[in-house]
Amino acid sequence: MQKYEKLEKIGEGTYGTVFKAKNKETHEIVALKRVRLDDDDEGVPSSALREICLLKELKHKNIVRLYDVLHSEKKLTLVFEHCDQDLKKYFDSLNGEIDLDVVKSFMYQLLRGLAFCHSHNVLHRDLKPQNLLINKNGELKLADFGLARAFGIPVKCYSAEVVTLWYRPPDVLFGAKLYTTSIDMWSAGCIFAELANSGRPLFPGSDVDDQLKRIFKLLGTPNEDTWPGVTQLPDYKPLPVYQPSLGLAQVVPRLPARGRDLLARLLTCNPALRMPADDAMAHAYFHDLNPSVKNDRC
Amino acid sequence: MAGNFWQSSHHQQWILDKQDLVRDRQHDLNILTEEEYQKIFNFFASIIQVLGEQLKLRQQVIATATVYFKRFYARNSLKCIDPLLLSPTCVFLASKVEEFGVISNSRLITTCQTVIKNKFSYAYGQQEFPYRTNHILECEFYLLENLDCCLIVYQPYRPLLLFVQDIGPDEQLLTYAWRIVNDSLRTDVSLLFPPYQIAIGAMHIACVMLGKENLKPWLAELNVDMDKIQEIVRSIINLYEMWKSYDEKKEIQGLLGKMPKPKPAPQR
Repeated sequence: MQKYEKLEKIGEGTYGTVFKAKNKETHEIVALKRVRLDDDDEGVPSSALREICLLKELKHKNIVRLYDVLHSEKKLTLVFEHCDQDLKKYFDSLNGEIDLDVVKSFMYQLLRGLAFCHSHNVLHRDLKPQNLLINKNGELKLADFGLARAFGIPVKCYSAEVVTLWYRPPDVLFGAKLYTTSIDMWSAGCIFAELANSGRPLFPGSDVDDQLKRIFKLLGTPNEDTWPGVTQLPDYKPLPVYQPSLGLAQVVPRLPARGRDLLARLLTCNPALRMPADDAMAHAYFHDLNPSVKNDRC
Repeated sequence: MAGNFWQSSHHQQWILDKQDLVRDRQHDLNILTEEEYQKIFNFFASIIQVLGEQLKLRQQVIATATVYFKRFYARNSLKCIDPLLLSPTCVFLASKVEEFGVISNSRLITTCQTVIKNKFSYAYGQQEFPYRTNHILECEFYLLENLDCCLIVYQPYRPLLLFVQDIGPDEQLLTYAWRIVNDSLRTDVSLLFPPYQIAIGAMHIACVMLGKENLKPWLAELNVDMDKIQEIVRSIINLYEMWKSYDEKKEIQGLLGKMPKPKPAPQR
């Protein structure tokens, strides 16, 4: 720990406090995530272990890099690559509308990070603007893999703040227990729309019912024809039958037609029909993507 | 997490070189013969296996715990940590990583006490399991550090299933090879070879045992380093040879007495 000088508190993560810090030798700025070990029975929390072991394996330009794990008396500190801000803060700092080229670049990088995770059979499961980090060079990185675990998505994080429902797909809201990569693709769709609207969330629901209603008002209420098996999901409940309402053009007015087509393929209620990350990267919307973003391999 | 083995920490950091392994064990091998050393590991692999079974863990979790155990002592002397403490700690850590869900520490300790008393009294006599929760938690930390946080371990089970499927489904071959893979955890092969090669080695032995001939043409088509497979086969056969003339119940107390130990001993 002597190696780093703490600069300021950045935030509260799933399992501990995050600090900005400076490596005293190299002057490199890093993010330190202190892992609390106060549950005497669990030892190192499984969420922290999960993040450590996944990031140890996932090395990619669009995934936040875990540099080091520091052990000291009863304390574990994860040393991460530092990014200047997250997407939420980026939205807050916007003056006016977001540049549509930035939308395309961020969306492509998000999909590329996801495609990499998914090719390694890793699901993120908690994608939201706060978990997407942005650095000065306009690079986007997936972060906070602490919730990326198989047994249910927790509804509370450490600080007792409720995990947001806004980016959860209808299948998960209906209690589906089998998660596949499609869960992240729905979240990516929600984030895409939010990007295109300069940070206005697409489905800011207040509870599960409200969340589902908001989704179905836009996309239409699913039934056994559009989504075979939907009524068999554990927490399925009949909701008002909404017809697919206003087209996406009204929801994301600044997005061009190809962008709206991609969005529709991501925001598909039936998870089996939702577009996977590698297909999304090949979508026509990205044909005119700035080559420096596209060719930027890890 | 069944991603790409070739890009994994397992492949990049934890396929060790035989010479390095021998060198790093030199301290312990000044005190124990190679065979005695192997017998001690065989014993603790049994403890991990029985603990895992008592806790109803999947074989994958048990295998991961056993590999953690082997990786730790690949870089450390037996005197660094009492293997009787490290064994349950490996089980504890593996169960969290493999998403089995957390085993409560108190249940782990109780299970250790019961298992040592009921199944391994031939080794420990009337002695009780001496460790408590705080020892396990402290040891977990130390283990994590020594593994360099490389926690995802690839096992031969998945490639084995694929290969047997590829040859043509054969329940008997699968059952035999699966058991041989379990036995291979008691050798050094998991430290020295990639899991898919271990799977092929196990299939090779199983085919010989069952008098099956259909592996050869399949292997010929596979572009695999046969020298490595032969080495794996030899290691496992050597284990079987050792078992033939070895009575653990008689010898293990003596071996544990001779084993390098941490000092000071923990508070009982």
